[in-house]
Amino acid sequence: MLTKEASNKNINMKKYLFFVVALFSLTTTFAQKTYATKAAQVKFFSHTPAEDISAINNQAVSKLVSNTGDVMFSVLIKGFRFENELMQEHFNGADYMNSTKFPKGEFKGKITNIATVNFAKDGTYKVTATGTLTIKGVTKNVSTSGTITVAKGVVSTKSAFKINVKDYGVDGSDVAKNLEITVTAKYE
Amino acid sequence: MKKKIILAGLIAAVIGGIGVWFFVFYLPSSDFYKNYKREQAYKTAIKVTAKDLVKEFLANEQAAYQKYTGKNKETGKDIIVEVTGEIISDKVSEGFHVITLKSDDAFSSVACTLREYKGETKTGTITIKGLCTGFLSDVNIIEAVIVKP
Repeated sequence: MLTKEASNKNINMKKYLFFVVALFSLTTTFAQKTYATKAAQVKFFSHTPAEDISAINNQAVSKLVSNTGDVMFSVLIKGFRFENELMQEHFNGADYMNSTKFPKGEFKGKITNIATVNFAKDGTYKVTATGTLTIKGVTKNVSTSGTITVAKGVVSTKSAFKINVKDYGVDGSDVAKNLEITVTAKYE
Repeated sequence: MKKKIILAGLIAAVIGGIGVWFFVFYLPSSDFYKNYKREQAYKTAIKVTAKDLVKEFLANEQAAYQKYTGKNKETGKDIIVEVTGEIISDKVSEGFHVITLKSDDAFSSVACTLREYKGETKTGTITIKGLCTGFLSDVNIIEAVIVKP
């Protein structure tokens, strides 16, 4: 037999438990989801009087957090492939990207209008992102616009922006001053 | 005498013309420059298992970069890595054929992008040769060719 005091305590415990369970289910309903992929693509293109330069990297890592809008892209510089492999050698060389010393490039930032994206509804949403871009050990603020596409539960992003390589301490005088970078990620 | 000079001039002009055509027009657009390819299939490679490769990058990233990526300091040639491991995924996405090899770490594996699209789904153990580009969440290998299917 329970004393009155003990049974009161038991009821209090049950109430407490109920709240904990209720709270827990609430948080899972609105849980943030992190979308990630190891097979995002980063391309760049540059037009010079001599020739057009383009390269592609298909092994970029990207993550996107649905409710906060945190987004990141990370890429290995050596992973960029050029049609012309001599150009690729030059790109990775000590005079240009020096990829052995600076193996990674990274964008970290936030999608400022993530609230307008409904991850549960198919569609293409226009978004803007601001953050920092790190290339060759130099970090600069960048902002760009792009899209988030939701199609049958599959989320993908696409964005394009331009950079001046001189801003990142890359001597592009003889190769290309401006690069147009396109990033696409299809999250798994 | 005059004829000889004219003939010599003509020959010189023809040779010059061929020379200009060869160096200015032919060579830059030839296979030699346009499709200059590394010959990793024929070079000696560092042999390693997928498990050990991931382990080394996790243990000391800096040292692993020195060992497996870039150029050999003595020969000045690209370092080629020959990696053996168990296939955990083999798929073509967005036009790239990527074979992923298993390691002991749950979050990292070895992702190899093949040089040519093979379109075959393989399972089991495989040996792949290519250029190691470094470590993101996987160890990445590009320009890969299958050595032993």
